[in-house]
Formats: sequence, C-alpha cells, structure tokens
Amino acid sequence: MNAIEFILAGMLAAATPFLLAALGEMVTERAGVLNLGVEGLMALGAVIAFIVVYHGGGHFFAFIAAGISATLLSLVFAFVALGFRANQVATGLAIGILGQGLSALFGKTYESLTVKGLPKIAIPGLSDIPVVGGLFERDIVVWLSLLATLAIWATFAFTKTGLVIRAVGENPKAAHAIGYPVIAVRVAAIAFGGMMAGFAGAYASVIYTPLWADGMIAGRGWIAIALVVFGTWLTGRIFLGACLFGAVSLMSLAAQATGLDLPSQLLSSLPYIVTIIVLGIISADRRLLKLNGVASLGEPFERR
Amino acid sequence: MTNITRRTLMKAAAATGLAGALGSRMAFAADEPLGIALVIPSPIGDVGWGHALAAGLEPIKAAYGDKVKVTILENIPEGPDADRIMNKTVADGNKFLIAGSFGYQNGALQIARRDPSVTVLHASGFQVAPNFSPFAAKYFQGTYLLGMAAAALSKTGKLGSVSAFAIPELITSINAFTLGAQTVNPNIEVSVVWVNSWFDPATEQEAAKALIAQNCDVIFSNAQDTPSVISACEEAGVYSFNLNSSMKKYAEKTYLGCVATDWSPFFKASVEDHLAGTFKGANAFLGVADKVVEVTDWNPAIPAETMTKIKELEAKIADGSFSPFTGPLTKADGSEGVAAGVTMADAEIVAMDWHVKGVATPLPK
Repeated sequence: MNAIEFILAGMLAAATPFLLAALGEMVTERAGVLNLGVEGLMALGAVIAFIVVYHGGGHFFAFIAAGISATLLSLVFAFVALGFRANQVATGLAIGILGQGLSALFGKTYESLTVKGLPKIAIPGLSDIPVVGGLFERDIVVWLSLLATLAIWATFAFTKTGLVIRAVGENPKAAHAIGYPVIAVRVAAIAFGGMMAGFAGAYASVIYTPLWADGMIAGRGWIAIALVVFGTWLTGRIFLGACLFGAVSLMSLAAQATGLDLPSQLLSSLPYIVTIIVLGIISADRRLLKLNGVASLGEPFERR
Repeated sequence: MTNITRRTLMKAAAATGLAGALGSRMAFAADEPLGIALVIPSPIGDVGWGHALAAGLEPIKAAYGDKVKVTILENIPEGPDADRIMNKTVADGNKFLIAGSFGYQNGALQIARRDPSVTVLHASGFQVAPNFSPFAAKYFQGTYLLGMAAAALSKTGKLGSVSAFAIPELITSINAFTLGAQTVNPNIEVSVVWVNSWFDPATEQEAAKALIAQNCDVIFSNAQDTPSVISACEEAGVYSFNLNSSMKKYAEKTYLGCVATDWSPFFKASVEDHLAGTFKGANAFLGVADKVVEVTDWNPAIPAETMTKIKELEAKIADGSFSPFTGPLTKADGSEGVAAGVTMADAEIVAMDWHVKGVATPLPK
C-alpha cells in the first residue's frame, strides 16, 4: 500500500467526525442559533457510546445513547439561550465546558480502555479498483453519514422544512409574523445539532479510535464549527471541507512516514492551512458570502 | 499597686491563648504526616506516564503508612493554571511536590525558591536548585535492547516510530532503537512520524497506520499515554512496544515488550532524604543500573539466540560497561557524530539533537 492509497483509504473515516458535527452545527446555525458547545457535546457522546459498547451494548445502541445524551445537553443550552435569551456565545462555551467535564467524570473508570471497532463494508465492484479501491471499503457509519449529507442537502434545497429553518434564521420576526413557531424551530435545530455532535463523538470513540481517553476529541469540535463558517453554511462545501481536512491530515502523516524532507511542524499545520486556503478561495465572493450568511445568527428572538 | 483593668486582662488572655494555640500547632506539626503531592498533565489511566509516576508512590505509602499523605492532582494542563494549583497544594501543607511534566518547570522552581522547606522533584527538566531536582529516565537503554529484538523479527527491514515531540528525550530513544536494530541488521531503516502532540489518540493511531502502509513491521510507540498505537498494531498484525508501563493486555499477540519505568527507588530515596533533612537537589538521570528502567514482557517470538545477546548486553548496561552511545556514530546527514572509542556523557545525551544514520525521516528543525 503506498501513500496515496493510504490517504484515499483513510480519508472518509478521518472526515466523518468533522462531517457529522459540522452538519449538525450548520442546521443549528441556519436556524439562527450559534452553539459553540460542539466540543463538549462530542465528548459526552464519545464517553456514553464507549461505556455502552464496553458493557456489551453494541454499536447501534451506543450511537442511540450518544445521540440522546448529547441532545439532552444541547437542550440545556436551548433552555438557557432561548428560554432566558442569554448570550449564545457565553452559554455555548459554558455548555461545552460542562460537556467535557461530564465526559471526564463518566469516563473516569474507563480511562485508556479499548473496545472493538466495526467491520468494513466494501461496495462490490468499486472496492476492487486499484489505488482508489480503499475509498469504497468503509464501516457502515461512513456510508450512513454520506446519506445524511445528501438528505440534509436535499432538505435545504427542495423542502418546505428547509425553507422554514432558513426563514427563522434569516428573519425571525417575519417568520413569526406569518405564523411559524420560531422558538420551536430553533429548539428542534439545536436538538438536531446536539444529536449529530453526539454521533460524531460516538464515531470517534467506538469506531475511528476505539478507545476512551479523557480529552480524546482533541479540538475536533472546534474544527467542525470552523468548517461551517468556512463552508459558508452550505452542505456541499462543508462535506468538501471535512474530506479535505481529513485527507490533508493523513497526508501530513504519510509524508513523514515516507521520509519527505519537510518540517513536521509545517506538515502538522498543513490541514488547517490548506482548508483555510481552499475554503477561503471558494468563499472569496463577498456577494455569495452575504447571500449564504445567516442574518440573525446569535441574536436572541423576543416575541412582541 | 498593679492596676488590673479589663483591657490588660484581655491582653493577657489573648497572649496565653495565642501561646497555647501556637504550642498546640507546633506539637501538631511534629506528628503531622508528610504531605506528598503529585501533579500530572494527563489523566491517570491503567497505563502510561501518569500511571507510572503514581505507581512509583505506592511503595512509599506502604513503607510509611500514616506518616505520609499522598495527594494526586491529575489532568492539570501546563501553564498558569498549573502554577496556581501547585501553589495551592503547597499552601495546603504539602511539603514534597512532584511536578510531573516539563512545562511545570518555572512554576515549580518558584515554589522551591520561595520556600526552602519544600522539596520539589521535576520531570524531564534541566533546572537544579538546593531543594529542586529534575529527574528523567534513560529510556534509550531499553529501546536499544528492543531495537535488537525488532530487527530480529522484522521481515521488511523497516521499523517505525510514532513520536510525540522532537525533544532530546524522544530523539535519544529513537537513536538507541536504531543502533540496537543495526547490531542485528546493519541495513535496517527507521521511519518516524512526529505527531506534534502529547495527547491525540486519533492522530497517533493514523500515524501508526501510515507507517504500516509504508511496510514498517515493528512500531515503537514513543511517549503515547494511551494504547492508541499499540491496539492499531495488534489489529494490523505488526509488532509494537511502548514506554513507561506495560500495554500487553491491548496486544496479546504482537506486544514486543515494554521499557517500563519504576520511579519508586528514586521517590523513596528522596522522601527519606527530605525527612532526614539531607535532601540535595541534583540532576537525576536514571536508568537500568538505578533499577528505574527495565524491559519487561518480552515477546516469546523473539529468537532465543537474539534473546541471549540481549540479556548479555542488558547486564553490561546495568554494570556500566556498555553504553549505546559509544562511537563511532555517524549522523543521519553522514557527518561524524561521536568519534571511535568515545562514549557520550549524560550531559551530551540529554541535549542530543541529531539522528543517527539509519533514521530515514529528517529531524524537524
């Protein structure tokens, strides 16, 4: 297996935690709510999923439990940020720290234990192609998250639900005036974002790196939030950004393993640099950025 | 005539009260157990650096019983917060502080300077004060032996190392690993992936996979606190080993061995000196001879002939008649590292910033 095959084979799995968390955050932000607690929500999902798998509950229930626990924590955020109209930035940060603290607490007795991951499912035909074949041999969650990406894209592109979420995020007063339940839509969007972050954490702790260690999310939640902004709140671009970030981070490791004469510090920062440059170029069009940006992002809505 | 007023009475009462309080406090201090505080940057797991340090305190607890009180503060990130926490723990009465990470150095040194009655042991640092000793393990003595085993088992002639940061401690481990391997197979090649993080299990695991993809069939997990690398290697069916504490249970088949550290002899001696009032700060660079470093859990697949050679060299390292860093050594760029017949001194080893020939990956500058 050469370096290219290694990168292609690992790219989608490396991208999945970012993709799931970023898509969830995108939906939340599209509804006009900025939830900065993704890192903590992922950590909570990760530890809950790990505990379930460790005690023989299986991967399916691990994801369910991770999704539910992270959703519950995100509803705490919704309660404070929407119910009391608290500052969303501060509340999100607090929830993030709470999530990380809870994950450390629940994970105390599971520190540095390991579990088994999931088998890979090859797409017949495609996985036999030389070089790129590895791309088509992944675990089921990768395939499901690709389907989820398509579904979310379709929701915003074709359905009324997508339009309602956008209306609530763009101009909550107008949405309220024509009879849409602004707060309910926002709560649902926050819950969806929480669930996705929980899934992302679960993927990290029971499939991608099947072990639990406090702090193992290692900043991935923050990168997911950054991907949403750089991806200008568009599903396709966020998918592209996540894959790019995954591929370049693997590339920096493969480059070192092959003995490429480049400073490893530069290689380690490459994923960030490349993602910023590429998504920066894509979103260089200010008009497009304004068009896609969420007008009422982070502003509390008050019914009058 | 003495005029006893209410005020003088109160003064007298206060004075006797104060003296009484002081007296009882001093009496209390004599019986007070010695407070030992260990501060570490990572959570204590079943394995890893933090676990090894914490385990090093167990024999002290057993030996001194009620006379010592051990407090462990885990998961303390390096930085201002660590300084605050160390200050607090000393203010709480802990007179023996073990600062378990390089980045605690300045804060811990300030504490030692401010209060001479406090003894501080500091991991992997270079500063020394009368009541402040840096300590480090000669991991390279163990990685040299494991290099021999690795080369004997490798089919591809390519070895790999997932390493945290390019600091001398880790560089010397890789160099000794390479030199040991070369005694068995002179053409062996070692690839290194620097993950530039002390703690990122997902990236560490990917780094191991990247090395395996390059046909490396023995992987050295250099300073990872979780079994990230070890378990990925077991899954891929390649041999692996790590530092500090055994991770055999994560890789029953392919675990090559562990460069284990047992800090208890050093901790115990330091506590004894502290209690006797004879503690003297010094650079403690400890290895096989000090019973701090020992290779454990040798894989039975290692050929008997290699194992005999390993055991011979281990004995020579222990009695001081052999050092892995004895010339002639060539640097990775082809220039002379150490002249023939010359052995590197400890001070040179702790400052080593070059790779020996045979390490394929250039060292980050």
